[in-house]
Amino acid sequence: MVNRMILANVLHRPIRTAVSVLAVAIEVGMVMLVVGLCHGLVNESAKRVEGVGADILVQPPQSSFLFGLSQAPMPMKVGERLEEIPHVLAVTPVLFVVNSVANLSVIYGVDMTSFDRVSGGFVYHAGGPFQAPYDILVDDVYAKANRVKVGQTLNLLSHEFRVAGIVEHGKGARLFIPLATAEDLQGVQDRASIFFVKCTDPAYGDDAAQAIHKLLPKHSVLPIKDYLSLMTSNNLPGLNYFISAMIAIAVAIGFLVIFLSMYTTITERTREIGILKSLGASKRYIIANILREATLLAAVGILAGYGGSLIARRAILAAFPTLSVELTWDWRFYAASLALIGSLLGAFYPALRAAQLDPVDALAYE
Amino acid sequence: MEPIISTKGLKKIFRIGKVDVPALRGVDLRVQEGEFVAVVGPSGCGKSTLLHVLGGLTSPTEGHVLVDGNDFRGMSDADRTRFRRHKIGFVFQRYNLLPTLTARHNISIATHIQGNGFNPHRFQAVTSMLGITEKLEHRPYALSGGEQQRVAIARAVICEPKILLADEPTGNLDTENSQIVLDMMRELNRTFRQTILMITHNLEAAAVADRIIRMRDGRIISD
Repeated sequence: MVNRMILANVLHRPIRTAVSVLAVAIEVGMVMLVVGLCHGLVNESAKRVEGVGADILVQPPQSSFLFGLSQAPMPMKVGERLEEIPHVLAVTPVLFVVNSVANLSVIYGVDMTSFDRVSGGFVYHAGGPFQAPYDILVDDVYAKANRVKVGQTLNLLSHEFRVAGIVEHGKGARLFIPLATAEDLQGVQDRASIFFVKCTDPAYGDDAAQAIHKLLPKHSVLPIKDYLSLMTSNNLPGLNYFISAMIAIAVAIGFLVIFLSMYTTITERTREIGILKSLGASKRYIIANILREATLLAAVGILAGYGGSLIARRAILAAFPTLSVELTWDWRFYAASLALIGSLLGAFYPALRAAQLDPVDALAYE
Repeated sequence: MEPIISTKGLKKIFRIGKVDVPALRGVDLRVQEGEFVAVVGPSGCGKSTLLHVLGGLTSPTEGHVLVDGNDFRGMSDADRTRFRRHKIGFVFQRYNLLPTLTARHNISIATHIQGNGFNPHRFQAVTSMLGITEKLEHRPYALSGGEQQRVAIARAVICEPKILLADEPTGNLDTENSQIVLDMMRELNRTFRQTILMITHNLEAAAVADRIIRMRDGRIISD
């Protein structure tokens, strides 16, 4: 009976209902997409580093796990000393070059021979390895996003690069240039930003990391699993605050719209509330009805938000293939919970106000 | 026999701004169970306020009010709501049906609020007697004023209240529909021995009752 009355009320004012549902849907969609984008980018970046195939990352003292922020490359000789450590199978130096044109990205300056030994080698979708100093390899995702073909030139870092090959994504960066070229561009010689170390068996990773730490006590020595645990939004400066701020804005939108919607509903239905009171409806009955109506609006809004975020995700990935949007079940649950709690809180004051209406005044309301 | 409604020295004073406005100035009233009583008087004489107090919609300022054994002194708002839910049925001049619900649901919401379950036999008996069985799936906007008022009466009596309080039930109706509604109320009173207290300013309507009480300036002037 109550459900029928609530449904009838909701259908009676379709525009108000649509606006309320839309607000909740925006709230849910915003939370899911912002979190999904942030987590997606961080996780995707971490996966790519993991995809290099190394068990240990060695960086200069006081380096950041954010590669683009790493400074003061290490001498190449460090790599030779790393190779002498027991259980180390291969070591490859990489010099990072930050490309800030169009979007911020880290280009890997790689030594092909050692990089192949650590990573197992690139899988080429088209073209092949570097043939000249200003050759570049791009991964398939970058190639698709930027419609890049083998043989064409890319203007990066104020230089013209010829695309030598398109490789399978997932080996650290999206763009690779020869190590020597990267050194030229950085104005350094025999230097590396990081050494990727591969062990004879991943089980020796901790032992090898301890040995490296003894050898290079001031350097940053990170087993890959530790690196992956660091690569979360919690550890990225400001990202958590950004996510929290966006969630707060989204929840505020949902809360305010539901508040306003229910408040106007109560005003509009003052007489109806008076009727219910004259029939003996208790305050709890009135409050429960209004909260149930808010729950219905929130539930439809949550479903619309899920649908909207799936459509938005498709649209984002179609427009920007290099991005990653992770819509996890955890965050679906959190976004729904936030929307529901926000809606109930938004409806609570109007519900309380309705429950406290004087029945005689309410019945006389025009 | 104990009266079902008994008031002594009933006063109701409204405070409007800083001014006290007395609506009831000491009403003594006794109504027996099964009586059909009409209260007549000019606008502002306090008849609607009397109805609201007896129905527990508002509390008395002073005096004793005993309705079906319930003494209003010391009753909280929640107590009065509970009392209203189980003992009182209201009929209003403006019908006061819920516009989004059908006639059937407007009637059955009263049983839902009361919480004693839906009694299909009672529903059938009441709607048949009021002649609205063909209109049960219509929403209020699709019903005439007379039909709406009959639905409102059905809603008021569906839970078998001890007392039916009707506030100008024919005030918005034409003569023909007024007569139909008054006949229905008379029928309810006779068939179910329903106690009815009806407020009206129409003496012709009042004539249908067993007893007519006249009010003026917040007092009963004749009974």
